[in-house]
Amino acid sequence: MIVKDAVCPFCGCLCDDIEVEVEDDRVVAVTNACELGTTKFMGEKRLKNPILRYGDEWKDITYDTAIRYAADMLLSAERPLLYGWSGTHGEAQCVGVHMAELVRGVIDNTSSVCHGPSILAIQEVGHPGCTLGVVKNRADLVIYWGSNPIDAHPRHLSRYTRYAEGFFLENAFRDRKVIVVDVRKTETANIADEFVRIKPGGDYAVLSALRAIVQGKTDTIPRTVAGVTREQLVRVANLCKSAKFGAVYFGLGLTMTPGKYKNIRNAIELVSELSRHTKFTISAMRGHYNVYGSNEVNTWMTGYPFGIDFSRGIAFYNPGETTAVDILARKECDAALIVGSDPAAHFPRKCLEHLADIPVVQLDPYPNATTAFCNVQIPVAVTGIDAEGTAYRMDGVPIRTRRVLSTDYLSDREVLSRMYALMQEAQER
Amino acid sequence: MTFLMITGRTVNQGVTVENKTSAEYAAETSTCFMHEFDMLELGLADGDSVRVTGACGEVVMRASASVEVEAGTVFVPYGPYANHIVAAGTHSTGMPDFKSHEVEIEPTDEEPKTVHELMEDLGGLAYDR
Amino acid sequence: MTELLVKNACVIDPLRGINAETMDIAILDGKIVEEVSDAAEVIDARGMLTLPGGVDSHTHICGTKVNFGRYMSPEDMRAGRTPRRGPLHATSGYSVPTTYGNSYRYSVMGYTTLLEGAMAPLEARHTHEEFIYTPLQDTMANVLFDGNWGIMEAIRDGDTKRVAAIIAWTLRAVKGFAIKLTNPGGTEAWQWGKNVSCIRDPVPYFEVTPAEIIRSIVEANELLGLPHSVHLHCNNLGTPGNYSCTLGSLGLIPDLNEKRQTLYAAHVQFHAYGGSDWKDFCSKSEPIARFVDMRPQIVMDMGQVMFGRTTTMTADGPMEFNLYRLHHEKWSNHDVELETGSGIIPVIYRRKNLVNSIMWAIGLELALLTKSPWQCLLTTDNPNGAPFVKYPEIIGLLMSKKYRDAEFATIHPDTEARVPLPAIERELDWYEIAVMTRAGQAKALGIQDLGKGHLGPDADADVAIYPLRMDEVDPSVDYQKVIDAFSRTEYTIKRGRVVARRGECLVDGSNATFWVRPKVSENYDMGKDPDFIEKFDRYYTVRMRNYPVQEEYLNRNRCIETEARI
Repeated sequence: MIVKDAVCPFCGCLCDDIEVEVEDDRVVAVTNACELGTTKFMGEKRLKNPILRYGDEWKDITYDTAIRYAADMLLSAERPLLYGWSGTHGEAQCVGVHMAELVRGVIDNTSSVCHGPSILAIQEVGHPGCTLGVVKNRADLVIYWGSNPIDAHPRHLSRYTRYAEGFFLENAFRDRKVIVVDVRKTETANIADEFVRIKPGGDYAVLSALRAIVQGKTDTIPRTVAGVTREQLVRVANLCKSAKFGAVYFGLGLTMTPGKYKNIRNAIELVSELSRHTKFTISAMRGHYNVYGSNEVNTWMTGYPFGIDFSRGIAFYNPGETTAVDILARKECDAALIVGSDPAAHFPRKCLEHLADIPVVQLDPYPNATTAFCNVQIPVAVTGIDAEGTAYRMDGVPIRTRRVLSTDYLSDREVLSRMYALMQEAQER
Repeated sequence: MTFLMITGRTVNQGVTVENKTSAEYAAETSTCFMHEFDMLELGLADGDSVRVTGACGEVVMRASASVEVEAGTVFVPYGPYANHIVAAGTHSTGMPDFKSHEVEIEPTDEEPKTVHELMEDLGGLAYDR
Repeated sequence: MTELLVKNACVIDPLRGINAETMDIAILDGKIVEEVSDAAEVIDARGMLTLPGGVDSHTHICGTKVNFGRYMSPEDMRAGRTPRRGPLHATSGYSVPTTYGNSYRYSVMGYTTLLEGAMAPLEARHTHEEFIYTPLQDTMANVLFDGNWGIMEAIRDGDTKRVAAIIAWTLRAVKGFAIKLTNPGGTEAWQWGKNVSCIRDPVPYFEVTPAEIIRSIVEANELLGLPHSVHLHCNNLGTPGNYSCTLGSLGLIPDLNEKRQTLYAAHVQFHAYGGSDWKDFCSKSEPIARFVDMRPQIVMDMGQVMFGRTTTMTADGPMEFNLYRLHHEKWSNHDVELETGSGIIPVIYRRKNLVNSIMWAIGLELALLTKSPWQCLLTTDNPNGAPFVKYPEIIGLLMSKKYRDAEFATIHPDTEARVPLPAIERELDWYEIAVMTRAGQAKALGIQDLGKGHLGPDADADVAIYPLRMDEVDPSVDYQKVIDAFSRTEYTIKRGRVVARRGECLVDGSNATFWVRPKVSENYDMGKDPDFIEKFDRYYTVRMRNYPVQEEYLNRNRCIETEARI
């Protein structure tokens, strides 16, 4: 059987043109997906059943036992952390928010360690953006800044920019210019028309220099700025101003470097400035296929995109205080529920040392680095493979993922709903 | 020698990310990409072990020459090896300094640990060894 | 079987011509019936003012741009917070509350049906997801067609039937209720950073004018037999002198429908400005109201501005950019491929600001100068003019000259020379307020036959009982009592169940989503049209099969089928 128009649950591109060939309830071939997506669709090695750490041993347990364990853990915790959420569908994220509210916990998603700083910048200055198709059909200039799509979002270039057809471009490949700004000469830099190499930590200064040039203050610019020559800066500024439609896509090269959200703020303000001259937009290269969905769900349900603390009953938001890395590093939480992410691989060691000290339950189809810190892990169906549900593309377009396989695994939503029902029952008693 | 360590995503890291207990994931995320002149200066050949020491610990990785990185900086694919030495401070943003860590690098005879060993060093218990 | 009997209700039910009659209301399984058994639960309304549940025919509560308004505004979220309590979830937000915040606060004011004013088709799934978490009101959404490529091409080719066919396919796909045009043509021009100034400017590349778009889509709307008329946000919103553009747009509209208007003109306050720049800015409410008085084919809503902080959000991207250049606050924009766009900025309307004071006056003037309340409905274009929680104050202002004068004394002193408001003596009565807040809205939306906006047999049992007796309150003097009563129902009944009582919501609910499926002939099924399919595949970034909103996203699925004449 061939499933057409399947939705790839890997990165924020959320490609929905995948063909998946299934035989005997196994994926045997994948067409149209990149290497990352193909590997995910073909993934095997799933955990077969829930497991419980028992001293220095792992025991197999039933779903009922595992779900009961998780519910009890959350109910008896004083300050539970519910973290992850980017690797699951929106319907499960909604249950997660209700659970956090019920136990007065902290709910945070992986954006606190990817584009959290971008959100902080947007909260200061807003966000002039657009859907990916607007760029595909119109943009004659695309700037990748601190992002490396060839490695992290491989089909971004072919579906939306460099190699994409566009309604208003006669010969898109020839008529569309691509600029790459990075500290490394990445693979993406090799396919750019112009590569701007910045000294590490110099993004803010370069953005400020470009803003000054766009405002007509070129004479204030020194000969080089963070390793970039004035000539190149002027050339880039002129390319921007003379474009009919320019689009900036920035990545973790801006959010994780010194300055963090101030870098993004500067980039957005450059785009707002350019909007007085021509059409310009800016957008974040979101990582997980549904990290943006997690921000959306949290926002309509609590008012904030990430880092929400319900300990006072109301939703309270203060990134740096109510975000997962900080809460773990301060040894503040006394239980953790992890869904759809792998903090043990992605958090600094100090956070892991605390995870080792507290009860942890994880919902994940595969054994991963966080498994080692779990008291219980519950395998679930993979959204987009054996579970359906809503995901939000990096530009905010929501797409319903398809189920290409049927398995006996419960979805995240089903497992969490059962957990929540137990918790509601216990609270009513 | 002192270097600026930058972490980030790579295709190989992404391909193996759903299988983090595999040897391939360990090999990718324990690779320290360096400029060849820096490797020469430290007397390193491709695949040699290096001890990378940061503000909050040390970890053994393997050096690999790369034309993408500038002298004085090293690039490590995002994962448990780099995070073993990344500090947890976030300057009140929620975000650690994943792309701006000062590290010391020196040759060593030790082998990189497995992901399981790293996790167990911090108090975890490996599942599918 | 659940039965409820509301006794001694003093009912105003304009769609049935009932004006302040004391009667009982019998409810069986969520519907109004003639009578119930003795076993029914009884509520004694003790002569209190009882109206059909409130209907908001133009509000922004759910979807991409609304959520982005929350996302970018933690300061607004902090400005209105309640904890989880009983069956109620925590809420945040003042001008753009969370979905639960919207739902609970509307419910406490007696509102039971809401129309989301602008949904981009490509992002419709998002609106429907948020509807699910708006539990205490039935919902429906206007679908944006202002910059739709396929439609503009069909208009250029003079093919109105194809226009109708594309609309039919899209409404069905995105589970939409009605057609919305926001700055027609302007949102497409804005994707090049440009705009159209009024109805005669051609749209770049497509070479059709806003006037052609409006006329053709109005015709298509009637070909499809849709319950609601075209819902228009005119070109040139918010600029001095724009009233002539507004009159030009309204003048395009023939009278094509016996049951309702042919055009719904949204938030006309923002389109009723005189002057040539901000220096001689003034009210042009009088010519607009006179024009509408003579044309039964037009219904408008006020788009009243109230002083204080709020968030503006609209599909009109270029207008928001102009506003950003005036205010220098944060600015968000979101263009949507092949369809439309949107923009958001926070604003503060200030009494000490002359322009803001004039805007405040214009909204009230429109309501007071338009003869028939059925033609000027009460809205703030929530949250653009003000958050909906200000509706009771607006009711107070419309019912009391004394209150208006007291407020007028606090605004910019030069306002008097620029607006007719101080000379207007009219005070609206209870019946007129009931028209402007439910009956008229239901009629304009074309949902009275679906049991909305009245309390006749078989209507949905949505009832609002306000803690006020009309014989004890003189609204022109006791306006504070009017405001208090409309802020907090004694009972709000939704589908036969008491959902709010004296300011407290009592239960979690489950709303119904209304949407329209026009039945068209095989030849006009765009799902089978090779040209439509080819363009879709080439220029959208979502596959055509993944575009339609699945029925999983509809809580209680209220599909309205229409017989299209194509």
